[in-house]
Amino acid sequence: MVMDDSTDLLPIGMRVLAVDDDPTCLKVLETLLRRCEYHVTTTSQAIMALNMLRENKDKFDLVISDVHIPDMDGFKLLELVGLEMDLPVIMLSAYGDTKLAMKGISHGACDYLLKPVRLEELKNIWQHVIRKKKSDSKGKNKTNKPDNATSDSCSGLRSAGTENSDENGRLAKKRKDQDEDEDEVKENGNDNEDPSAQMKMRLIEQVLKN
Amino acid sequence: MDRNNCRRQVAAMKQSLFDQGLLDEQFIQLEELQDDANPNFVEEIVTLYYRDSSRLISNLEQTLERNPLDFNKLDTIMHQFKGSSSSIGAKKVKAESSLIREYCRTGNAEGCRKSYQQMKKEYVALRKKLENYFQLARQAGPLERACRPK
Repeated sequence: MVMDDSTDLLPIGMRVLAVDDDPTCLKVLETLLRRCEYHVTTTSQAIMALNMLRENKDKFDLVISDVHIPDMDGFKLLELVGLEMDLPVIMLSAYGDTKLAMKGISHGACDYLLKPVRLEELKNIWQHVIRKKKSDSKGKNKTNKPDNATSDSCSGLRSAGTENSDENGRLAKKRKDQDEDEDEVKENGNDNEDPSAQMKMRLIEQVLKN
Repeated sequence: MDRNNCRRQVAAMKQSLFDQGLLDEQFIQLEELQDDANPNFVEEIVTLYYRDSSRLISNLEQTLERNPLDFNKLDTIMHQFKGSSSSIGAKKVKAESSLIREYCRTGNAEGCRKSYQQMKKEYVALRKKLENYFQLARQAGPLERACRPK
């Protein structure tokens, strides 16, 4: 995958690890991901997933996992992947309650998708990889850019993620609310403790710099 | 049977399944994933679903038989069942699953059991209808194979 700021970003061949203990869901997810031209590895067990990730940290770009897997708490897997491998993790669930989504985000998930996952949603997930890489490199050279950002330049990126989730009802509203909260945070110049908001703020700075 | 006639019947049957609220958007998405490399993708997924979910059905029934009802366990199984059913676009089954979850949340054992009966009915009925649908679709054949003798 090409990770160059100046050229077009190519999600083709992005390496995804998909985890779901339900064989039907896993098969559909795999097919959808392949349709997006990602390189897909699947497993029904969290333990297997962790082993594969530990074996070679650089083997995958992104993990997408169901929240409820029998051999391990999905949130625990989330934490481990985030802490040990620092890879973006997307959570999947058949239930769309906000509490669960918030739990996911606070455990480090960069997105929360409701089953059945749509092709359009999966087409956008590569943006999480970009954001993570950008925010990681940004963290290394901290700048003191004033918080007078407009949301225009980054709304394209964010709206691509939210516009397709209209059918997810509450969850879509939740995302929009989060975005609005982050705009407020920018204006107030507050130091937000929420890691995903910080990441988004760094992305905004990065986009402005480019 | 005339192939065009077959195809019309297939389309009508599919429309009927949608009109009855048995299938949703997801089924269409599955059809869109069907291609030359995966010509029977939808049927394969549905077969996989019914094969795997039968295991969940046994677990559900075992759990429902117990007294007092273990709502947490029931909810866990239902979560998977709902996810699975939504993957094939089983709209009514999915709706009944959500209802069961609500009853689990409020600790309503009677509600759980009644809803389950309804859900099972929908689940079984859908299977039969989809079997008929796939059988007819196979007869109609994809457009590319229209010239090959049956």
